[in-house]
Amino acid sequence: MRTRTLLMPLLICLASLVCLRAAAAQAGDVAVVVNDRNPVTTLSNAELRTIFAGEKHYWSAGLPIKIFVRGPGTREREALLKLLGMTESEYKRYWTTQVLRGEAQAEPMALPSIGMQREAVGAYLGAVTLVNFEDIKAGMKVLKLEGRKPGETGYALQGR
Amino acid sequence: MRHMSWAAAVLFLLSSLCYPQEATPTDPETIGQLVQQVKDLQERVRVLESQQRPADASIPKAPNLPTPSVEPAERSAAASAVAEEIHETHGIQWRGFGEVDYKALNQRVPELGTYGFVPGSAGNFYTGDFGLFLTSQLTEKASVLSEIVFEDGDAQTYKVDLRRLLLKYDYSEHLKMSFGRYQTNIGYYNWAFRSAAWLQTTADRPLVMEFASNGGLLPTQAIGVSLTGTIPSGKLGLNYVAEYGSSDTIRPDISGDGQVTDENNGNHVNVGFFVRPDALRGLQVGASYYHDKISNLALYASSGAPVPQPPGSPGSSARYGETIDNGYVVYVAHGIEFLNEGFLIRDAALHFSNTVFNTPAFYSQLSKQLGHIRPFVRFQYVNASPNNWIYDDVGLRFGPSVGARYDVNDYIAFKAQLDHTVRRDEPDLNGLHLQLAFTF
Repeated sequence: MRTRTLLMPLLICLASLVCLRAAAAQAGDVAVVVNDRNPVTTLSNAELRTIFAGEKHYWSAGLPIKIFVRGPGTREREALLKLLGMTESEYKRYWTTQVLRGEAQAEPMALPSIGMQREAVGAYLGAVTLVNFEDIKAGMKVLKLEGRKPGETGYALQGR
Repeated sequence: MRHMSWAAAVLFLLSSLCYPQEATPTDPETIGQLVQQVKDLQERVRVLESQQRPADASIPKAPNLPTPSVEPAERSAAASAVAEEIHETHGIQWRGFGEVDYKALNQRVPELGTYGFVPGSAGNFYTGDFGLFLTSQLTEKASVLSEIVFEDGDAQTYKVDLRRLLLKYDYSEHLKMSFGRYQTNIGYYNWAFRSAAWLQTTADRPLVMEFASNGGLLPTQAIGVSLTGTIPSGKLGLNYVAEYGSSDTIRPDISGDGQVTDENNGNHVNVGFFVRPDALRGLQVGASYYHDKISNLALYASSGAPVPQPPGSPGSSARYGETIDNGYVVYVAHGIEFLNEGFLIRDAALHFSNTVFNTPAFYSQLSKQLGHIRPFVRFQYVNASPNNWIYDDVGLRFGPSVGARYDVNDYIAFKAQLDHTVRRDEPDLNGLHLQLAFTF
């Protein structure tokens, strides 16, 4: 009886820790959102990096890619910088370089709110943006990364 | 029973931690402030709605309009941002870059008198290139790019150089076309750093990659068509470059003898490939092959009159078949920049001799970002035969450069560089180069 009473709280603690870990992962996950008419459903991590680095300009269907990002200080921005392996300063310099090389028209437009992200993704067929998973709303098409949805174990794109 | 209550307490604590949102402030003062803010906002909305009503009354309402899913204020902001974006898409984008330089050499014999540096001076200031960079998106796939450079010349005179003017059409990821004046994609440097000193880590370009109009060895510019794109290759990241155009290069002698060489190039072909493997981000490995036919017409820079040909020279009408083989390995990631490029320039006399001049050249550059400072070291080597009439001003040159780039902010960089150059049949040359480079 005594062993049972000791075991029970231990199991509860373990279960709660698992729950905590999953929730923490979910809370930190950042989703890749595209226009709902974009036929793409999944990307590899490398593809995502080349897209946000401006090295890949077209979706597989031939649609021009239009990148929208969040401004500095947001979780989405941190996920972006982590994805590219850059600091904020390196990111700015990188895009200035890309523009001067003629590889890009301009630095990706930074949007200040989720609503504007949703608006922009709805307006451009080739749009892609990063959205905090907790802020995903109905009508946003979320892509899988390496076959995993945000919130699933092993999902690669996370903010702080 | 005591254990059960303890377990319940732990469960309660952990469950509260599981809740993904961040903790909200709960002290009465903060709540009071928030309530007051909400009341203020409600009051402002009420005032705005009362102002809006008379205007709304005059507009007949369409039945069954879809309800916007986003809050009105947010939606209007989003709409204006999208409108702004559309405007930007079709407007002209401007960027600019410039530099202010100070260079000193330990010799008074005129040499390397380009970019406004006064040959033979103990040291002087100059402004190098001041560039205006314009782009405009015409359609989703077509755009225009131009780069107008005001180049510092002798005695603070400036010449305008349309360094790039391109009508670009991106048919797909695999075929991107550019028509107009482009920077030849011989190797990595010309593509990566273009004209802006601000982009470069070092204060100057390696001699072999210096612009031909400033004494560099390669035809850095041409007018024609340039194709580039990816080749389906999975994780290898294979890309190609193909160019066909006219260079028509005129390069000043870097020996400071006041002469220029008009190469009267024919139409060149340049084909290159490079890979950017997924497995090692930042690595780029490439090779290119360039072919053209050129002359060696020596002219006086001041008058444009032909220079009398020395005895034994094949004359100004002689043509050479020029091929330029290039290979490079670069790694740019995690604050590290490691550039390695090698060239073999082959000039084969056509019709008048069987002579072939080989001019090997390479440079290697390593730098690492440490906060705002990026120390660098570079070693470069060029070896032109003394019998090579085309590069007789270059000869053998090699040596290291060391220095550092300090990024004052995202737009301004200060660079300090020391150069040591060993030259064939000439004393070694030491130089100090300071540069303030900026973009805007």
